[in-house]
Amino acid sequence: MALRLLGLVGLLVVGFALSLSVSEYALRLLNLAAIAGISVIGLNFAFGYVGLISLGHAAFMGLGAYILAILTTQAGWSPWLASVPAILGTGLCAAAIGFPLLRLKGHYLALATLGLNVSFVIVAANWIELTGGTNGIAKIPGLSIAGYALSGEQPFLWFALVILACLGFVASLIQSSRHGRAMMAVRDDETAAAMTGINVTAIKVAAFALSALYAAVAGCLFATHVNFVSPDDFGFAQSITFLSMLIVGGEGTIVGAILGATLLTFLPEWLRVLGDSYLAFFGLMMLGILIFLPTGIIGLFDRWRRRAPAPETAAAEVAQP
Amino acid sequence: MTILDARGISKRYGGLLALADVDLSVAESEFVALIGPNGAGKSTLLNVLTGLTPPTSGTITLNARNVTRSATHSRIRAGLGRTFQHGRLFERLSVLENVMVGAANRPGRSDTALRKAALDTLGLMGLERFAHQPISALTYGNRRMVELTRALAGQPRILLLDEPGAGLNSGEVEDLMTRLRAIRAEHRLAIVLIEHNMGMVMRLAERIVVLNFGSKIAEGTPTAIQADPAVLDAYLGAGSSYAGV
Ligand SMILES: Nc1ncnc2c1ncn2[C@@H]1O[C@H](COP(=O)(O)OP(=O)(O)O)[C@@H](O)[C@H]1O
Ligand SMILES: [Mg+2]
Repeated sequence: MALRLLGLVGLLVVGFALSLSVSEYALRLLNLAAIAGISVIGLNFAFGYVGLISLGHAAFMGLGAYILAILTTQAGWSPWLASVPAILGTGLCAAAIGFPLLRLKGHYLALATLGLNVSFVIVAANWIELTGGTNGIAKIPGLSIAGYALSGEQPFLWFALVILACLGFVASLIQSSRHGRAMMAVRDDETAAAMTGINVTAIKVAAFALSALYAAVAGCLFATHVNFVSPDDFGFAQSITFLSMLIVGGEGTIVGAILGATLLTFLPEWLRVLGDSYLAFFGLMMLGILIFLPTGIIGLFDRWRRRAPAPETAAAEVAQP
Repeated sequence: MTILDARGISKRYGGLLALADVDLSVAESEFVALIGPNGAGKSTLLNVLTGLTPPTSGTITLNARNVTRSATHSRIRAGLGRTFQHGRLFERLSVLENVMVGAANRPGRSDTALRKAALDTLGLMGLERFAHQPISALTYGNRRMVELTRALAGQPRILLLDEPGAGLNSGEVEDLMTRLRAIRAEHRLAIVLIEHNMGMVMRLAERIVVLNFGSKIAEGTPTAIQADPAVLDAYLGAGSSYAGV
């Protein structure tokens, strides 16, 4: 528990310090990284804990963003109020889709979720009177707290960091609860999990719905931050990016999800010099990580920690007279 | 009182009749051994009893409730426990977490209570020193013992064990037998044991059920089974078709 609170405070402190010291442009990227981080923490429930390969995560982020965008621009709701049906509706929708879909395993599930994402984009691009088609929805109102608009990059980042820290904290509580263990048991061996009394279908649907809830929160933040949504923002390529973020950071860990989201948000900017060859570089990098760092960047820390003596024992030895 | 009652169980895999009209009834705290040559249908019977595969025909009653069509997890919650012939642990969880998953089959236990229950059960099996180890650090024998501990942590009323002694050395088999006896005495637990080690079967079982080619060919006390001509022919006797011991 102490470690978890430390992580929460650490994230806020580091984020706050960065927010005061970096350029406006970096702030914008940090905002996108925080939003992606929330989405990837969600994906971690489905992929990291239960092992469900989802290539449709961006569709749930898009669904949340679109519900908020439509309710605010067409029905005049406040973004705060609109976020409630946006988030809950997306979660319910994922649960309803999950029941039939999650009977599929492995590649089949990956393909089906990919299809789901493609379908979402087609609907968003063609249901013009509701979604504005490929032009998207503009002029989505931003958030404000007690009359103070979170319109600049810096105040929005503070808000996004608080949400990221809180949702990361909740995720870590779930991870170490009986439900988190049940998810990981299902990932390791479905049959053995059922043999300990776990309702495997229920756990899968719950993890899938939970991942969609997080994605919807990220979608709402995205919509109120950028004030504009279009089908392009939520294509299957974005789903693959989320999955890559989780794998690069370290699947099955919340810190890994945040690290991966941050790194892969900044990397394309740092490597802008590569131009079109960035994708080739990115592919090679993913390959390298899958081969040499199958547990992601987090795995690197673990290896280093195992090699180095534990800090307590080192300190204790020094304290000996 | 009968805890588990399976009647007329048949299971067909394509052209193969893996189980043919098998009856199995187990009373409270009874120790039943299920023996038979490889391929006789013993594991298949456990798969049917635990709901991993539906029977082609037959009914299964658990604690006076018809569970023939119930999902595996609800049978487990109704008091069934099982281990697997080839051992199935949650590889990416620690030993303690594996057992905590087993203990969590009843709702409403706090995490602290689960942890305590899991540590107690590990202690009962003499495994507490492995609690915080990863599964990959365990010897084969200890893996099998952890799987048994995980099943026990669910506090089953009847435990189905599929060749728990396979691959254990003789010291480990002795240890397993001592613990099984102690646990059964303490918890009034019924046990169905599939085992090829005849010494173990004869010393532990009160009743033996013999399967051959999917059919029950004999049932009785260890002494009666040892003298049964049909069993001797199919399984125990010299020159029999059985080559799996
Ligand atoms: N899932 C399955 N599909 C087809 N045949 C199976 C299946 N499971 C078991 N069998 C067959 O059923 C028979 C009984 O197998 P099993 O129950 O594993 O025997 P035992 O445990 O007594 O050694 C064997 O001939 C086996 O090949
Ligand atoms: Mg078998």
